[in-house]
Amino acid sequence: MKLRRRSILEEEDESINVSPLIDVVFILLIFFIVSATFVTLPGVDVARPRVENASSLQKNSVLFALSDKNQIFHAGESVQLDDVPPLIIQAIKDKGKPVVIQVDQWADAVVLAKLVSQAKKVAPSVSLATLKNR
Amino acid sequence: MKRKPTRFQNEQTEINVSPLIDMVFILLIFFIVATSFVNEIGISSSYKDSNSQVDTKRPPLSFNLAGSGQILVDGNSIGLEGVAPKVRTFSTHEPPSVIIQVSEGAKAGLATQVMDQALLAGAKAVKLTAISK
Repeated sequence: MKLRRRSILEEEDESINVSPLIDVVFILLIFFIVSATFVTLPGVDVARPRVENASSLQKNSVLFALSDKNQIFHAGESVQLDDVPPLIIQAIKDKGKPVVIQVDQWADAVVLAKLVSQAKKVAPSVSLATLKNR
Repeated sequence: MKRKPTRFQNEQTEINVSPLIDMVFILLIFFIVATSFVNEIGISSSYKDSNSQVDTKRPPLSFNLAGSGQILVDGNSIGLEGVAPKVRTFSTHEPPSVIIQVSEGAKAGLATQVMDQALLAGAKAVKLTAISK
């Protein structure tokens, strides 16, 4: 043991080879840059209704939330029903993003119906976020 | 020109990569944090309004959600579990379109569950409409 340690120390100071580390870090970096979609969350917590045949929705989407007090939220702010189509147009930017509405199960269905019909005017598809029934 | 050989005689100089690694790590952490993987599950209804207007031969099946939380079909109250059989038996030829008419006071959770049941029973498309008084 002594002999080996000394022999290492006697060599001019060796540094760890960092090139593979940099390679891996770069790959990770590029992966995260590419996959970064910057989804703006509505910023309100809703109790999603439980349904049976929920399917996975597209990740890169424009999110709206309808709270249990029948307020519509987008990007952390409360918005009016009439402002929804311009907001969607602004958020979609010709990329064909679908609209996902996070609806609280105690919200008024009339408001939901109006919100969906407003969103359908401009969005390619409108989905409701739910939870899977256990 | 003369200096070159002396430089080579030194043990080979390396570029100091530590600042680069620092910077790359900071970028990496930024992107990891900023990437929000929104993973929502849900239901989508692809209701084509233009189609439904033309299709007069096959009228859509309409459910009526009362403010009291009842589900009405042609005036008869059915439970949530009655939705799927209704959709299945409505048309023998092809899956029907379903319209859910909601009244003031009906809850969105119930409307979503009716939509889900209708889609589960094979409804072609589901539409939510509000009844204006």
